[in-house]
Amino acid sequence: MNKKKLLSGPYLLWSISFILIPLAMILFYGFTNSEGQFTFENVLAIGTAENFKALCLSLILSVISTIICLVLAYPLAMMLSNMKINQTSFIVLLFILPMWMNFLLRTIAWQTLLEKNGVINQILGFFHIPPLQLINTPAAIVLGMVYNFLPFMVLPLYNALCKIDKDVIFAARDLGATSFYTFRKIIFPLSLPGVISGITMVFVPALTTFVISDLLGGSKILLIGNVIDRQFQQGSNWHVGSGLSLVLMIFILISMILTGKYDKNGQGGLF
Amino acid sequence: MKKTARNIYLGLILFLMYAPIVTLIVLSFNASKSRAKWGGFTLHWYSSLFQDKAIMAALYNTLFIALVSAILATIIGTAASIGINAMKSKGKTIMMGITNIPILNSEIVTGISLMLLFIACRVTLGFSTILLAHITFCIPYVILSVLPKLKQTSKSTYEAAQDLGAGPVYAFFKVVFPDIWPGVVSGFLMAFTMSLDDFIITHFTKGPGVDTLSTKIYAEVRKGIRPEMYALSTLLFVSVLVLMICVNASPKESKDIKRTSKKTAFRRSFRFAVPAVLIIVLVFGGIFYNFNTLKNHSGEKVIVYNWGEYLDPKTIELFEEETGISVTYEEYETNEIMYPKIVSQAIAYDVVCPSDYMIQRMIENDLLAEINWDNIPNIKNMDTTYMEQSKSFDPENKYSVPYCVGTVGILYNKSMVKEPVDSWDILWDPQYKDSILMQDSVRDAFAVALKRLGYSINSTEVDQLAAATEDLIEQKPLVQAYVVDQVRDKMIGNEAALGVIYSGEAGYTKRENPDLEYVIPKEGSNVWIDSWVIPKNAQNKENAEKFINFMCRPEIALMNFEYLTYSTPNLKAREMIEDEDIRNSKILFPEPEDLVNCETFKFLGDDVDSYYNELWNKVKAK
Repeated sequence: MNKKKLLSGPYLLWSISFILIPLAMILFYGFTNSEGQFTFENVLAIGTAENFKALCLSLILSVISTIICLVLAYPLAMMLSNMKINQTSFIVLLFILPMWMNFLLRTIAWQTLLEKNGVINQILGFFHIPPLQLINTPAAIVLGMVYNFLPFMVLPLYNALCKIDKDVIFAARDLGATSFYTFRKIIFPLSLPGVISGITMVFVPALTTFVISDLLGGSKILLIGNVIDRQFQQGSNWHVGSGLSLVLMIFILISMILTGKYDKNGQGGLF
Repeated sequence: MKKTARNIYLGLILFLMYAPIVTLIVLSFNASKSRAKWGGFTLHWYSSLFQDKAIMAALYNTLFIALVSAILATIIGTAASIGINAMKSKGKTIMMGITNIPILNSEIVTGISLMLLFIACRVTLGFSTILLAHITFCIPYVILSVLPKLKQTSKSTYEAAQDLGAGPVYAFFKVVFPDIWPGVVSGFLMAFTMSLDDFIITHFTKGPGVDTLSTKIYAEVRKGIRPEMYALSTLLFVSVLVLMICVNASPKESKDIKRTSKKTAFRRSFRFAVPAVLIIVLVFGGIFYNFNTLKNHSGEKVIVYNWGEYLDPKTIELFEEETGISVTYEEYETNEIMYPKIVSQAIAYDVVCPSDYMIQRMIENDLLAEINWDNIPNIKNMDTTYMEQSKSFDPENKYSVPYCVGTVGILYNKSMVKEPVDSWDILWDPQYKDSILMQDSVRDAFAVALKRLGYSINSTEVDQLAAATEDLIEQKPLVQAYVVDQVRDKMIGNEAALGVIYSGEAGYTKRENPDLEYVIPKEGSNVWIDSWVIPKNAQNKENAEKFINFMCRPEIALMNFEYLTYSTPNLKAREMIEDEDIRNSKILFPEPEDLVNCETFKFLGDDVDSYYNELWNKVKAK
């Protein structure tokens, strides 16, 4: 058995050099200033009114989109898992397929749909409904998040639900449980690993995105991802950027611990 | 009843998923270059797509990187999964923790951390660094897909095989491998897709001349996407869709997939062999294509780092043909993105095209090489007024050769704005709420506010800046969006009434939408010059000078002017413009009296710079 462990050697080396060491470099930048002295300033920069507001807004928007994703995806995953087709790959592909259209292009396409003179407002105009202010609102950002990250919720849920032994459900029904009771007592608890993994897979990218808020929020709405991006790209202040990334990592760490706790066997994977 | 409800729900979700994709497909047949306008049906973009070398090279890079990184990631990841599966729970937890980092970490952190690593190790950013980065974030997807399958395999069959005399390797490939094969394949597919779709990590780890589709598109987002991109993604999408349908129409598997027999496993593998073969064909096509383009180059080269869409690609071809020097062409979006790349010296660029204030900053930080004017005789074609103006940032005309010049002003839509526009004040007029587009860059936005108050755009006075900040905050509710080059598309599409824009866009936008008019407000504005410079660490300085000299030729400058519509400081080129209205346009070639209150940006020092950024963040966060 020991020989098998050696097979993970290359990966271990790889992850040390390309995951852990780079992470250490972020740590280093986050805790030093431009003169190379140790400082907490960069991390504490999250406390300034603007940055804190951006963080709160990011948290609110990403929580909302995570909830919407969950509510949309759960019934969908249940339907898909109940379908009498064995073509798992087909379903997986159906949700991966949009990714073959570039992510940026897909988000730009939403601009075309949501704009003042965009497709949706033109359709509304056809029915003499006054145009809606759709783009450059927090709602547009949430839509963008839900759209881009929904597959990451559907796939783990679908996999978790597929793994539930149908006999358990039949047994519950035989013993007189209503369908809602069966769902509450059997299906939902058993799908929990998928739920948790789906939540993290949606919440984390939503929390850190900056492209979606730029394209669909008209850069009027500043999320924490935009703040960090600005520090690296425009302000050229890598130290503050790294410090703020470290703050974000706290949330990522919490998500990881949660996933680890509920998804011990990796049942809620993407596949 | 229940079934209809179910189908409606499924339909709605699929509609949500595919609505933007349908939009993109429709746009690929749009004859108008602008995303906001329908100009009739055309197949033109599909034919011009295949003639566009840059896009084809990006496509080749994207597919090649995706394929190689997915293959390597699959090998490393599958081996790792077997190892992790054999570990005790503690080792497993640690390994899974590490595996989760790239998936859960924000892409920007992953990208930047890898860039920091490569720069620290003095690895030149380029093709190989993208590949390394992609493999890094692809492996976890493979592990997460193989590991669950490994857990489902029963140990006893493997042990039984060994009891019957099979060696460990033989037993593995005969007994375990067929069981985990679907996981390996879906891991590979996921890795391939992720690599294909990645933008942020590639953006930070790429080097000069290497572009993937994502980075190419991102560079174009600000300038307005070229419709060829829509055509290309439509083709990609349709080919995958067709493949998917073919694959799923092939022989059905047996219903019992819990214990996949070897036979069905290999039938499955056949279903994935089809796309694999196609990809290989594509890649070899790409190699062949690249080989062909590489053949006719001598060893001489020059690496050019320029703004996105800021040069007629034909001029590069002409330069290569004439001199035999091969040009590696790389683009950036803003001065601020370009600057750290030059400072880090990770890549030795030969020619760069920064703006005025950034050139001053680079001179002050000793990053530029003095130009040998003997090698640039064509400088005689240059309008001397611009050489004089350059002295504000390059006092002795030692480092820079002007390439494009212009002003910043207001573009307005005559059908929406009835009153005369001559002042920045109109951008604060509440009746245009949600119809105003502001520039999304610190200095440009502050320049507008400072000029409106009658201050210098290079102000460093705290109270002047505070007043400008307050004004910008006051203006924010009226602003529809803060954008960079998207002003162009949005104004053409009648999305907004007023927008802050560079003078070079005035001609193009007016052509697409005759209602648009450009004006330099009376309070004055910013006059900018983008000039060619040579970084100190350039490896091919003489070739760089040859390139700059070539760009100063009247006919080449004219080609670029016609391609960009940005004003050229090249007097001879201007005289050659056929259209009289353009040649004498006050917007493109303003007389000194039109520019009385205008100034050029100056570099204000790192501290003032970060103070500006702080104030801008305050505006944006309000």
